[in-house]
Amino acid sequence: MSQEPWQPDEPGKREMLRMLQYETIFVTDPNLAEDEVDELVKGVDHLAASAKGKILKVEKWGKRRLAYTVERREEGIYVLLVLEIPTDMVKELDRRYRMNDRILRHLTVRVENEAQLGPSPMMKPRPAEREDLPVEPAAAL
Amino acid sequence: MRMRRSEAGGGGRDRGGKKQFKKKFLFRKKKFCKFCDEKIKFIDYKDLRLLQAFTPERAKIFPRRISGTCSKHQRKLMQAIKRARTLALIPFTSD
Repeated sequence: MSQEPWQPDEPGKREMLRMLQYETIFVTDPNLAEDEVDELVKGVDHLAASAKGKILKVEKWGKRRLAYTVERREEGIYVLLVLEIPTDMVKELDRRYRMNDRILRHLTVRVENEAQLGPSPMMKPRPAEREDLPVEPAAAL
Repeated sequence: MRMRRSEAGGGGRDRGGKKQFKKKFLFRKKKFCKFCDEKIKFIDYKDLRLLQAFTPERAKIFPRRISGTCSKHQRKLMQAIKRARTLALIPFTSD
């Protein structure tokens, strides 16, 4: 992610903008090295910090098989971040994601539930892998 | 499930029996919204196991008339499935 400083659309409005929590996921090229992924995270952190925002949570899901081919890639590296940033920065974040051709897919949504601040369902061990654990009724469905 | 209405109507005309209808459908389990039942307020697009349960086989969204999900939760479910689809977490279609 580029390191150029970010300016809000209307600087005078800066003080009026609310800080909100957002959850953002991006999927990168599977051939990126670990530190290249870290750099992308750092880029987001840098952007957030430029408006006194911060990263609340980083969750790396690692390499996952994509459900369908994206830009001829079958796999992608998933990174989930929870941020606290001013509302108008979402647009800028989105723009930077789109400009970065190493990012295949991205999504930024508001945090609407406390559950999103904790570890995501993706981090839970699968019941098949953990046979010592009883399958919870919610998971059995 | 669509059968239910037409069969009931036809049966009523032919045999004139509410009894017939009752016999056949009295013990049908009533459908209920799984999310209301478990008091789930927030449907996470990252909860793949949950979403996959509602996108069987061809990865199409399971219709409300079959799953019994209430409209409120079906909307939220739809939103979650669509988010997961754009992230290539679950497929749009599969053959």
